[in-house]
Amino acid sequence: MPKKFYLTKKGLEKIEKEYQELKKTRFAKINGESPKIWHSEDVNPEYLSFQEDLNFLESRIAELEYILESVELIKIPPRGKQNIVDLGATVLVEFNGETDEFTIVGTMEADPPNKKISEESPIGQALLGKKVGETVVIKTPIINHSCKITKIKYNII
Amino acid sequence: MKGVKKFKIDTKELSQKEKVLFNKLISAAGLIASLYLKQKNNKYPGANFYPHDATKEEIEKAAKTTPAILSPYTFIERDKSGKLIAIPYHLKFKKELKEISKLLKEAASLSQDQNLKAYIRSRAEDLLTDNYDRSNVLWLKTEKSKIGCVIGAFDRYLDKLFFKKRAYMAWVGILDTKQTKEAEKLKSMVLLSERKYLHGAKKAKIPQIKVRVENSAIFSGLIADFMFVGNNLPSSADLYLIKKYGTLFTIFNPTVKLRFEKKIFPIFKIIFGEKFQKKYSKEELYLAFLRSIILHETCHSLMRYEDATIRLQEFFPFFDELYTDILGVKSCGSLMLKDALTQKELETFLIIYICRHLHWLVSVAKQPHLIHYATGGAISLHFLLEGKALKKERDTFQIDFGKLFISLDQLSHALEYYMAIGNYVEAKKFIEKYGSFTIFRRYFSPKLIKISES
Repeated sequence: MPKKFYLTKKGLEKIEKEYQELKKTRFAKINGESPKIWHSEDVNPEYLSFQEDLNFLESRIAELEYILESVELIKIPPRGKQNIVDLGATVLVEFNGETDEFTIVGTMEADPPNKKISEESPIGQALLGKKVGETVVIKTPIINHSCKITKIKYNII
Repeated sequence: MKGVKKFKIDTKELSQKEKVLFNKLISAAGLIASLYLKQKNNKYPGANFYPHDATKEEIEKAAKTTPAILSPYTFIERDKSGKLIAIPYHLKFKKELKEISKLLKEAASLSQDQNLKAYIRSRAEDLLTDNYDRSNVLWLKTEKSKIGCVIGAFDRYLDKLFFKKRAYMAWVGILDTKQTKEAEKLKSMVLLSERKYLHGAKKAKIPQIKVRVENSAIFSGLIADFMFVGNNLPSSADLYLIKKYGTLFTIFNPTVKLRFEKKIFPIFKIIFGEKFQKKYSKEELYLAFLRSIILHETCHSLMRYEDATIRLQEFFPFFDELYTDILGVKSCGSLMLKDALTQKELETFLIIYICRHLHWLVSVAKQPHLIHYATGGAISLHFLLEGKALKKERDTFQIDFGKLFISLDQLSHALEYYMAIGNYVEAKKFIEKYGSFTIFRRYFSPKLIKISES
C-alpha cells in the first residue's frame, strides 16, 4: 500500500503552490535559451549548472506529484470523537515535570520549534487514539516517561 | 599580560571607525585585569575581600550594624582600632576606573549603533559609582549589536565565604550571526514547555531570555581566569533586574572550541572503550558540547527563585550550576520524544554531560576556584555510579543511557527541592554527603592525570 501523507488544508495549499511554481520555472527554463554543451574541448560549466538545476527541479516536481497523489487531508473529527487524540489535535500534556502544548501533525508538517509535532515521533505515536485524563507511557530505548493528557482541542486547520 | 587572555579574531567585517572603537574597548578590558588580581586570593575562602584573620561570625556581626560590610561592591579592611570597615570598589580603584571610564567614553563617541553607544556611555559612568543597574538594562538591548562588550564587577564565584562580593571581568567580541540564530532556535524550543514547581516555591518569572554567540577578542579578569564558555547576565543576585528586564546570555566560540579540543574530547578518548568511541564522530560530539552550553545558560533562567540565594548562601552556586546541567539533559529528552533531536544526538549529549563533569573534577586541582562546578561533578558521578548508569569494565567505562536518564531524573528531584524550598543546613548536609571527591579519585583520577597536566 502506498504511503499516505497527512496534511492540513494549509499544508496542502503550500505544497500545491510550490508544485505550480516549480512547473512554471521548469517551463521557463526549458523554453528559454539554454547554454551550449560544448565550449572549446571542455563541457561548458554553464551548461552543467543548467542541467544540474533542471535535474533538481525534476526530482522535486516528481516528489511533490507523489505526495499530491497520496495525500489525505486532516479533518476535524465529529463532535463525539473530539475527546480522542487524532491528527490535527492540539493537546495539553503533563510529562517530564513540565506542562506542554502542541499539535499533532503529519511528518511533512512537523515543526517542533512551532509546536507542531509529528505523528511518528515517540510522543505522537503514544498519544494517538488516547483520551483526556489518560496516562500513557512513552517508551524509547533511553527514556520511559509517563505522560498525562489534560486537554484536547481541535481548532480550524 | 597577567589576568588577560587574547584570541585571534577576524575583524574584516568592521569598518575603520568600528575597528578603532573595538580596539579602545579591548584596551579598557585589558585594564580590568589588575583590579581582579587585587581581589583574587585562592588561599582564603573570602579571597582578598575580607581581612584574612576575620571569621565569618565576626563579619556577620559587623554587617548587622554596618550593612556595607556585605555589600557586593566593597572591600573589608580593619581600621587602626581593628574594627571592620567597608571601602567601596570605586574609591579603592578610583584611578584605574577613571582611566577605563575615559576609554569607554571615547569608544562610545565612535559608535553608530545607538544601542551600543548608550550602553557603553552608561557603563563608563556606572563603573565610577558601583551601581550597574542602568547600564545593565541598556546592555540587554545590545543583543543584536555587531560588537559585544561587558566590563565591570558581576560574578561572585571568588567569594566562597559569603558568595556576595562581585569580581571584576571584561570581554570584547564580535557577534556570530549564524551561530546566534542556531542558539536562538534551540533556546526557543526548550522554552516552549512550562516547568511545574514545588508547592511553596517562590518562583521568579523571567520576561525574556536573549542569546548571542560571539567570536571573542579578549577575556580579562575573572573570565580570563575561569575561561567561561558562556555567561549569563545580569547576575542571579540582581534578580529584581532579571524579573523586570530579562537576561542575555553569551556563548564564547573560542573557549568552546578550546575546551572541547583540550579537555572534553581527550577525556572522551580516555574514559570510553574503542568500540564505543567509534560510534560517535568528533563533529557530533562537538555539536553536543555546544548545545549543552546553550541549554545550560538557557536553563539558568528557568530556575530562578526569589529567595534561593538567601536560603542557600554560599551553597547556592553548587546547586545552581549542577541543576542547570541536569535540566539541559531533561530538555534534550523532551526534544527527542518530539523528534526535534535524534536518539543518537541525545546519546552524544549524555556522553558530553559526563565528560564535562569529569573535566571540572580534573581541573579543580589546579584551579581551586572551580570548586562549585567540581562539587557538582562529584555529586553527579555519585548518582551515576550508584544507579549503575556508569560501569567500570576493565580499563574503561560503559554507559547505560536508560539508567543514566533515571539517575539524573532522581538527582533532579533532590536539586529542585533545595533550589525551590530547601534550607541552608539541609543543603550543607547534601553537599557533605554527595560532594566528596573520593569516588573521582578512586575511579577516574589515575586515568585522567594527563588531562589535568595539559
